[in-house]
Amino acid sequence: MNITALLAQAVPEGRVFGLDSQTLASAGIQLLNAIILAVALTFILYKPVKQFLQNRADKIKGKMDETDSAMEKANQLIAEYENKLKEIDIEGNKIIEDARRKAAEESKAIVEGARMEAQEIKRRTQESINEERRRFKEESRLYIIEVASLMAEKIIAKTIDDETQDKLFEEALAQLEHAPWQG
Amino acid sequence: MGLDIKNYWVLNIFGFEVWITETIVNTWIIMLILIILAIIVRVKLRSFKDIPAGLQNIIEAAIEFFDNFATGTLGEKLSYITPWYFMVFAFILSSSLFSVFGLRAPTADFATTLALALASFVLMLFMGFKHQKGRYLKTFFEPHPIFFPLNLIGELAKPVSLSFRLFGNMLSGTIILTLYYSLTPIFVQIGIPSLLHAVFDVVFGALQTYIFVIISLMYVRNAADQ
Repeated sequence: MNITALLAQAVPEGRVFGLDSQTLASAGIQLLNAIILAVALTFILYKPVKQFLQNRADKIKGKMDETDSAMEKANQLIAEYENKLKEIDIEGNKIIEDARRKAAEESKAIVEGARMEAQEIKRRTQESINEERRRFKEESRLYIIEVASLMAEKIIAKTIDDETQDKLFEEALAQLEHAPWQG
Repeated sequence: MGLDIKNYWVLNIFGFEVWITETIVNTWIIMLILIILAIIVRVKLRSFKDIPAGLQNIIEAAIEFFDNFATGTLGEKLSYITPWYFMVFAFILSSSLFSVFGLRAPTADFATTLALALASFVLMLFMGFKHQKGRYLKTFFEPHPIFFPLNLIGELAKPVSLSFRLFGNMLSGTIILTLYYSLTPIFVQIGIPSLLHAVFDVVFGALQTYIFVIISLMYVRNAADQ
């Protein structure tokens, strides 16, 4: 390019306004300056700051979405736990009810068993008493028979003969068999 | 502070003289400042936190405010051209604030405002043809082909009005301040000018920046949506 800077004294006088080729040339230079400035400001300042603002807005939006999602999850968990608590309550009540029912059945069985055992004991005792009574009755009768025999023998030996003696013995024995026993 | 735009150098490019004016040099200074600030922010961006504080708050608020404003005006479909208008916004506002330091605002030169307006005009035509295709060309002949010259003038008037509005407003502030500095004694040139700078450079500068950007955005939007 053939660009030559002329000396200061050759520089023309200044002016306020003119509509000529110099104005157009100056306008061209100013337009070039404007384009350079626009490019510089756009890439150094405007776009990076806008990008920063956009990133921050996205970040805030992301965090808000994240919070909403976490809140939704928390609500779901709350609902889930509430359901579980309800189920646990129902299950607990069921277990208590079962236990109560089982306890009642068991108690009934125990009482029934005890009653049966008591009856058995009573029955056995009664049997034992009866046996004892029968044995005593037998022993007493034999003893009385013996005593009575002895007494009768002594009396009869003094008063009656053998035939009368046997008859009396038989009658006495028959009476003893029908007599009620005390004790 | 003079009214004339000084010429610093003259370049000879293929036999054609190109003046390197005060406006161009001031534009380079502003570009340098803006790019350095952008690099500082870019470096700081690495340590930006999720909860903003201090400088981060200002940067985020500025970018978010402009993006919402531009996208709201252009619509989502055209939001990819917002970086260009972010540059236009930053540059015009910085130019106005540049005057606070007694330096000539690049926007007080018609070449600058013409360049920005032409860029918007080209963008408008490009978006019109890109999004509407043949229908955009048809709009020049509506409601009747006889209106074509009027429609054409109406379209061509857009960059002219855009550029002259900004140029006129910025130059008027420069003229008023220059007159004030030239015509008043030295003892009233301390303190009082700060108020004038606040009004003409800061308030009017911000207002004109907003007007230029929103009108450009609407031109582009209308061209793409018509």
